[in-house]
Amino acid sequence: MSAADPSWGPREDLDVLDRDIPRVDGAVKATGRAVYTHDVRVPGMLWARLLLCPFPRATVESIDVAPAEALPGVAYAAALKEPGDEVRYSGEDGVLAVVAAETPEQAEDALAAIIADVERAEPVVSPEQAKADGAPIVNRRPGATSNVDRRNESGDEAAVEAAFAGAAAIVERTYEIPVQHHVCLETHGHVVEPIDEDGEVLVHASTQAVSGLPRALAGAFERGGRIRVVTPHMGGGFGSKFGPGREGAVCAQVAEATGRPVHLMLTRADEFAMAGNRSGSKQTLKLGASDDGGLVALRLDAERYGGVGGGALPRPPYIYRVEGEASVMSRIASVHTATDSSRAMRAPGHPQASFAMESAVDELAYELGMDPVDIRVRNLESPVHHRQLERAAEEIGWYDHPHHIEPGTPDETGRAVGIGFGVSVWSPGGRGSTCDVTVHPDGSVVSATATQDLGTGARTYVAAIVAEELGLTVDQVTPRIGDSSLPPSVASGGSVTTGSSAPAIKDAAHRAREALEERVSTVLEAPVGGYVWKGGRVMVRDDPDRSLAWIEVCALLREPLVARGQFQASLYEGNVHGAQAAKVEVDAMTGRVRVVKMVAVQDQGLPLNRLALRSQINGGMIQALSFGLLEQRSFDEQYGYLVSDNLDVYRIAGAQEMPEFVTIIDDEDQRPAVGGMAEAPVIPGHSAIANAIYNACGVRLTRMPFTPANVLEALYGKV
Amino acid sequence: MSENEPPPPETPPISRRSFLRGAGQVAAAGGLLGSASGERPQAESDSSDGVETLSGAIEISLVVNGAPRKVEVEPRTTLLSALRVHLDPPLTGTKLVCDRGSCGACTVLLDGEPAYACLTLAVACRGKQITTVEGFGTPDAMSDVQEAFCSKDAMMCGFCTPGFVVATHAALERRPDADLEELRYELSGNLCRCGTYPHVFEAAQEVQRMRGKDGSGR
Amino acid sequence: MRPFDHRTPTSIDEAIAALPAERSRTGAQVIAGGQDLLTVMKDRIDEPEALVDIGGLGLARIDEAKSGDLVIGATTTIQAIADSEVIAKRFPALREAARSVASPQIRSQGTLGGNLNQRPRCPYYRHPDVTCFKKGGNVCLAEFGFSKYAAIFGGGPSYFSHPSDMATALVAAGASVDVSGPEGDDTIPLDAYYVLPDAALDTETVLAPNQVVRSVVVPAPTAGERSTYLKFKERASYDFALAAVAVTVNLDGDTIVSARVVLGGVAPTPWPSLEAAAALVGRPMSPETWKAAGEAAVADAVPLDHNGYKVHLVKGVLYRALESLA
Repeated sequence: MSAADPSWGPREDLDVLDRDIPRVDGAVKATGRAVYTHDVRVPGMLWARLLLCPFPRATVESIDVAPAEALPGVAYAAALKEPGDEVRYSGEDGVLAVVAAETPEQAEDALAAIIADVERAEPVVSPEQAKADGAPIVNRRPGATSNVDRRNESGDEAAVEAAFAGAAAIVERTYEIPVQHHVCLETHGHVVEPIDEDGEVLVHASTQAVSGLPRALAGAFERGGRIRVVTPHMGGGFGSKFGPGREGAVCAQVAEATGRPVHLMLTRADEFAMAGNRSGSKQTLKLGASDDGGLVALRLDAERYGGVGGGALPRPPYIYRVEGEASVMSRIASVHTATDSSRAMRAPGHPQASFAMESAVDELAYELGMDPVDIRVRNLESPVHHRQLERAAEEIGWYDHPHHIEPGTPDETGRAVGIGFGVSVWSPGGRGSTCDVTVHPDGSVVSATATQDLGTGARTYVAAIVAEELGLTVDQVTPRIGDSSLPPSVASGGSVTTGSSAPAIKDAAHRAREALEERVSTVLEAPVGGYVWKGGRVMVRDDPDRSLAWIEVCALLREPLVARGQFQASLYEGNVHGAQAAKVEVDAMTGRVRVVKMVAVQDQGLPLNRLALRSQINGGMIQALSFGLLEQRSFDEQYGYLVSDNLDVYRIAGAQEMPEFVTIIDDEDQRPAVGGMAEAPVIPGHSAIANAIYNACGVRLTRMPFTPANVLEALYGKV
Repeated sequence: MSENEPPPPETPPISRRSFLRGAGQVAAAGGLLGSASGERPQAESDSSDGVETLSGAIEISLVVNGAPRKVEVEPRTTLLSALRVHLDPPLTGTKLVCDRGSCGACTVLLDGEPAYACLTLAVACRGKQITTVEGFGTPDAMSDVQEAFCSKDAMMCGFCTPGFVVATHAALERRPDADLEELRYELSGNLCRCGTYPHVFEAAQEVQRMRGKDGSGR
Repeated sequence: MRPFDHRTPTSIDEAIAALPAERSRTGAQVIAGGQDLLTVMKDRIDEPEALVDIGGLGLARIDEAKSGDLVIGATTTIQAIADSEVIAKRFPALREAARSVASPQIRSQGTLGGNLNQRPRCPYYRHPDVTCFKKGGNVCLAEFGFSKYAAIFGGGPSYFSHPSDMATALVAAGASVDVSGPEGDDTIPLDAYYVLPDAALDTETVLAPNQVVRSVVVPAPTAGERSTYLKFKERASYDFALAAVAVTVNLDGDTIVSARVVLGGVAPTPWPSLEAAAALVGRPMSPETWKAAGEAAVADAVPLDHNGYKVHLVKGVLYRALESLA
C-alpha cells in the first residue's frame, strides 16, 4: 500500500468541495419532514413540565403535588425540593417540581394545580445589589465571603502609568454590556425512552455533544443501562447545549419512575430562565497611543457578570498589539448574582472584549486625527487583517465617504450616516473525531460519524468530503450523523467541529480509496496511488483510457469495505481572521439606528462548502447586529422576576432589521487545511456598528444595546 | 436601587408565600376538568337558542392539506397542538417556539391567509382550509419556494424554516412583485436565530424570477 | 390555558346573552381573532369559563356612508383595513396604523375590535406569577422597577402604556364605536371609550362585560386635511410602539389653521395632546413649529426611572410625522 498521507489537494482539482453545495438535508427541513427532539412521538409517551420558582432566592415551605396527581391524565407529579430547601439562584436551582401527563394540556393543568409555598428572600440579581454592603453571599465558591471574586490580575501599575505618561493621546471610558441569551429556537430538552429488554436507554436530545452526552447522563439513571443518544436534527445551540442540564436529569427520573417514554422540552419562559446566557460585563478601558497611532499603554478594570458562574472575558490586549513588555495591566473580577450561570456562547467573552477594545482604538484614531482603518492596520500584526480591512473599507464605500478623520454631524433634518470597522481572530480547534466510510458491493457509500449538525452544514460535508475523494457526487454518499452509536466525534463548541470531523472524514475516505485501489490494481494493474477518481470512474493516472466505472469497482468487493478515519492534524487549520464594516443611518430626532450595510471579509483555509460558509458568516454578523441593536436580559430588581422571559421583551433581530450584506470569503488565503466558522464572524459586528454611530454623529455609545433609549440618552442626557 | 427611590409600600406587594399559579384556581380547574372527562366526547348543542356550545373533549373534523382529518380536541386546544400532538399521525413540521404569536415558527395558512397556529383555536378552524408546510410539498416534490430555500441555503438549523416557507408562500401570494423592502415587511412576522434572513430573501426573489419566467405568476 | 366552553351564537343578541353582567377574570368573554385574548389566557391573566365567538356574525365590513363617514365592522381584519382602497384614499392615517400593526399573521387574523380592546403589554402584567394592581394586587411593579416601556403620561396607580395603533389613529380621526348590550345599542366617542387607571384597574375601557363592539364609525375628513400615523418601535420588525403619533392638520396656505395630535404608546390610553395641537395652530408648517409642538407635547410628562427617553422620543416622532405632512 502506498503511504501517501491524505491531503485536500490543489483547489483547482476539486470537483465537489470549495463550491456551493446545497445542504443534503435541505429538502427534509424545507418540507417539515425533519424530525427534531421536539417532534419525537413514541407510543405511550408522557408530556412533562417543570415548575420553576419565580424568585431567584427563596426558602421552600411546602410543595403539595397531590392536587396535580388527582387530575385526569396525570401519570406523575413530584416535588424536587423538600421543605426547608433553599432556592439559591434563578433557573436550574429554582426547579421545584415536575409533572407528566398524557397530553401537554393535562400537564399544564397539573402544573397549575401544584400548591407551592415559598418564602421569598432578597433577590440579588444586579451587580449593584451583589456588591452592596451586607448583601447576602450568593457566590457559590466554598468559603466565599464576598460576591466579588478577583479573577485575573496582571501587569505592574507603576510601569503601565509610566507608559501612559509617554503617550501622545489617551482615551478612557467605561463600557457596559448586558447579559445576552442564546435563544435557540428549539428549546433545551430530551425525550427519554426507559431501558428496553436489550438494556438500552434511548435518549433523543437537542444537544451539541452527541458522543459525550451518554456519559454526562449516566448518573441520572439509577437502573443503569447502555445510553444511546440520537440527534438527527437540532434547532440551534450556540454553546448552550453541551450538558443534559437539570431538565435532562429530571426527564430521566420521570422515565425511570413511570417506565414510560417522557417528552420534556423547556417552555420558552423556562428556556430564558434556565438554559444559558452570555455573561455581561463592565469594562473601564484606558488606552494610550503614540502620535503615529501605535498603542503604547493599556489598563483594563473589568467586571464579568456570569450569575453564579464566572463569566468570560479574555485578558487584554484584545487582538491589537500594545508595544512594550510592561505596558499592559488588567484587573478582572467576577461579580456573582443569584442568577443562572452564564454558559459558553459563540466566542465566549470575545464580543464583550471587542466592544471595548474596538471602541477605544477607534476613539484614539479620532483623537489623533488618523483614519480609523489606518490606526487598525498600524496595530494589527497580521497582513491578512491589513488586506481584509482594506477590502472591507472598499466594499462599504469608505473611500467615497465624506468624513474619515472627524465624525459627521446630523444634517438640518437630524439625520446622519456613518461607517465603522472591527476585526476578529479565532483559533478553531481540531482534535480526536473519528469516522467510518463504508463502501458496499452495490455501489452505495455510507459516511458515518456521531457528530451533530447545529445548522452549520456538518451533515453535508460528511458526505461531500467522501464524494470528492472517491470521484462521486454528493448524493451518492449517505451521511449518517447524530447518533452516539456511531464513531465518536467532538462536542461542537469553539468552532472545533469542522477542524475535528473533516480531517477524520477525509482520512476515512482516503483509506477507503486506498483499499479500493488495492482491489482495482488486480484489474487495471497500476499500483495503489496510481489512480485518479473522477466523474464516477477510476482511471489509471498515466493512462486514463484504462478505467472502471464506480459500480464496476464496487462489484470487486465481496463484502462491505469499512475504513475508519482518525483526526489528522495536518488537515486542519488553527487560525482565522476577519474584518467587518458597518454603515448606519442615525436619526438624532428619535435615536433610531438603522444598519444599512454590513461587509465581512473572512479567511478560513479551504472552504468545504461556500454556500453554507456564507450562511455561517451571515449568521455571525446578524447575531452581532441583533446583540448590538436589541438584546438585553432584564430582571425586576425589587423581587427578582425575570421580565425578559419571552420573545416580546427579549427582542432578537427580524427581517426588517436586515441590511444589505456583502459576505466575502477571503480567497487570497490558500491554506490547504480546514477550520470551523462559528465564532469568528460573531465577534466584531456590534463594535463596527458602535463605531459607525460615532462616525455618523460624534456620539460614542458605551452602553449596549444601541436602542433608541440608550442612543437618546447618549445624545441628550438622562431625563 | 437609587437613593431617592421611595421606600417599598408597607404591605408587601407580592405575597411572600404561595406564589404559585395557585390556590383559588385549583378547585375551579378541577371542577371543569371533572365535567370534561366524560367518556364519550361530543359537541353538545343547546337547542333553546341557536348558540352552539362546545365543552370538554370533542371530536372535530379539520381539513388539513386538502384532506379531512378527525381529531379529538378540547375548546382550548390550539391548532398548533391539534396538528403536532392530537392528530394521528401528527404533523410536526409546524414548530412550537414561543407559543405567544411572537416568532412565526408555527405559521400555517387558513383559507390562504397566514396565521400563527399557536394563537388559533382548533375548533375555530372547522370548515377552513388549513395548509401546513407539509401541504406545500414533499422532499421528492417540493414547491417552488421549498426548492428555492434549498438552492439558496435559506435554512441553517431549520427550526424556523417551515414557518418561513409558509410565510414566504403567503407573502408572494399577496405581493407577487414585492421588492426587497416589501419582502422584509411581509416576512417580518417570523424570527430566525441562525441568521438565514438574507438567504430567505434571495430564495423569495428566486421564486419571483422563476414564476415571472414561466408566466405562472401565482 | 384553563379549559373553557366555546360558544358560537348566531346573533348579536345571543352573544350578549352569553356574556356576564359582572366583570371577573373567569367570566365569559368575546373572541373574534383571538390574537391578543389567547395570549392573555395563556399567561393566566384572565381565565374565562367560556369564549363567545362572534367571528361568524357577519360583522366584517368596510362601508362608506352617504354622509362620507366610514363604517368598519368590528370583526374586519387589520389586513382588510390595510388593503382597503377607500381607506388608502380617504383615511391615510388609518391605513398607516393598520400597516404598522404587529405582523402579517396577526394582521390577517386579528380584528379591529380585538385591536381596540387589547390588553396592556407591560411585562409585569403579562408575567403569570406577578399580581399587580391590574390583576387585583396592591402595587404597580413598573413604577419602581422595570419601567422602560411604561407610561410618561396619565400613569398612576398603574403605569402601563396603551398598545393599540388603531385606537391612537381612530381617536385622532374623531371616531366612535357602536356597541350593543342588554340595554340596547349605544354610540361611544372613542376618546371617551378608554379610561385611565385611576378610574378603573380591571379594564381599560368603558365597555361593559356584556356589551359587544359592532362597528367603528369614522367621520368624513374635512376638505384638504392632511393626516398621518407614525409608529416608532424599538425593533423595526413586528413590535409595539415605544411612541406613536397620529396627526391631522388643516392648512391655509402655509399656516396651520387646525390640528389634532394624539400620542400612542406613552400613556395608559391613547393620549390626545391638546398642548401640541395648540402649539401648531396659527403657526407656519416649519421645523420651528414642529419643535415647539414637541416641547408643548412633553411639558407635562412624568417619566419614571427607565423611560425618560420617551420624552425625547415623543418630540422626535411628532417632528417626523409633521415633516411627512409638509
